[in-house]
Amino acid sequence: MSTEPTVLVAERYARGATIAAVVIAAFWHLGHDLPVTAADWSVYSRQWAVLAGWLLYLLVGVAGSVLLLRDGPRALAWPLAVLTLAIDVLLVVAAPDETILLPANWAWGSVGWLAVILFWRHRAAHLVAFVLADTALLVVGMVLVGASSDLQVSRAIMVLLGAFTLQLGYSVGAHGLGVAAGWAARSSAARAQATARRAAAEAVAADRTRRYYELHRSTAELLGELAAGADPADPVVRHRHAAGAARLRRLMAETDDVPDPLLHELRAGADVAERRGVVVSLSVVGTVPELPVDLRRALTEAPIVVLSAARGTARVTVVASPDEVAVAVVADAPDVRVAEHPAVRLTQDRDEDGLWLETRVAIGGADG
Amino acid sequence: MAEDRPVTVAIVEDHPVVVDGVTTWITADPETRAEVVASGDDLDAVLAGPGGDADVILLDLHLGDTVVTDRVAELCTAGRRVVVYSAMDDPETILSVLDAGASAFLSKHEARGHCVDTIVAVATDRPYVTPSVAGALLADERAPHLSAQERTALLLWFQSMSKASVARRMGLSEATVRQYIDRARVKYAKQGRPAPTKTALLARAIEDGLIRADEIHEYRSHATRGE
Repeated sequence: MSTEPTVLVAERYARGATIAAVVIAAFWHLGHDLPVTAADWSVYSRQWAVLAGWLLYLLVGVAGSVLLLRDGPRALAWPLAVLTLAIDVLLVVAAPDETILLPANWAWGSVGWLAVILFWRHRAAHLVAFVLADTALLVVGMVLVGASSDLQVSRAIMVLLGAFTLQLGYSVGAHGLGVAAGWAARSSAARAQATARRAAAEAVAADRTRRYYELHRSTAELLGELAAGADPADPVVRHRHAAGAARLRRLMAETDDVPDPLLHELRAGADVAERRGVVVSLSVVGTVPELPVDLRRALTEAPIVVLSAARGTARVTVVASPDEVAVAVVADAPDVRVAEHPAVRLTQDRDEDGLWLETRVAIGGADG
Repeated sequence: MAEDRPVTVAIVEDHPVVVDGVTTWITADPETRAEVVASGDDLDAVLAGPGGDADVILLDLHLGDTVVTDRVAELCTAGRRVVVYSAMDDPETILSVLDAGASAFLSKHEARGHCVDTIVAVATDRPYVTPSVAGALLADERAPHLSAQERTALLLWFQSMSKASVARRMGLSEATVRQYIDRARVKYAKQGRPAPTKTALLARAIEDGLIRADEIHEYRSHATRGE
């Protein structure tokens, strides 16, 4: 399924969105956090802390990106997220005053981009939980530095809302489009499958139509003989009619709409026997699973040999389940000699009714 | 029903030649166990006449251009014993008419050898499993509670159409083989919608000692456990 071109498109699309998430975080850190830090360098009372925070961001960003792009363990997301939250703390330590709500403290809005990377492969609830933790830290920080004026609270809301709408919006939007791409890929694959099934059904129908016309001709011939005065009491005439009727019945009894190679081979064998005047019935129970060619040949070979040796009547049965397929033939035929296959159990038996032969194979397991 | 008079049969079939053929098989029975009292190609017309009191209705599923599968449930709910007779002998068709309450199914290619025996068994609410029904029972994915012996008996009966061969191959008596096959059929009567014909089949099976009453309960609990 994964080799379907449509699925490949969806996979590539998803990868593109993932790489974009990484690129956004990198640009944000280099294009926003770095210039702000440099411009406000003199504002920080503990410059080592802001430097440590900036480097920690870089470190977590690289680690998170590698994990995401290399499909590393998802369990590492939360430990890295805790380190990310430590950046918040470091920036407060760098300037523990009203700077907490000024551009110089860039942590509140930026860490969310790291979280987008870290929780890319998690449900959205994880990202929301991180955002809430970030908010909680800001509230605690504001209380500690005594920044609680109306102006400062509204600034805090501005900072957080501005950042979170972008971050959550990107993450949820990209994933939503990913899901939509998946739908498109799946529906396209389903359409391809439906087309294939229709082609198969048409092939089966065409084959049946061909056989129907052939039978039509041979039946008309038989009826013509009767009309011309053939004696229905004559055993030869009766037998030929019985064989013709059996062929018609067999054609009408076919209900499968997908070409099955095993049934196809058996029907071909039955057809040959019927042309010799043998009355053949073929009954199928269950759906034959897909079989390797050699196994299928080994299942059908012996029954077809019996069919070809039958003198007057033959009954062929196929009983299939997901774990076993049994093909049997009962016919007034002499004993046959057939090559054995290691995976196929062959049983032969004879009584006054004739020869009974069965080939049986266990699917996906050793057979005794 | 009196055991000393022949079983009365109504044939619903649109081909006169088939009606004649089936009538011939029934009258050819050396013990005259059954007799045809009505026939025709219209179900309602047959039931309105002497066919209304027949012990068994032999019903062809294809009447002209219509398929009368949905009438089977209606007949069985009214307590009629129906033997479905059809060239459509795929497991799905067979299981659906059995589910609807049909007492037995005769495939056209096997009818000759089983017709009278089926009618007689059905008239006394006893199971009769034709090889095509054995195949359908094997195909039924909802029937996990068949024993290994019951499955083997059904499979060999389906393959060979000869109980003597099945008995010899299984190393059992013919009577025991018949018991395994009939038990599988009686178990199936617990599937699908309830019908008086199914109840009668189960009751007769208990009476005959084919299964025990507590076994029926067991199947029911299997069935309700959800599959």
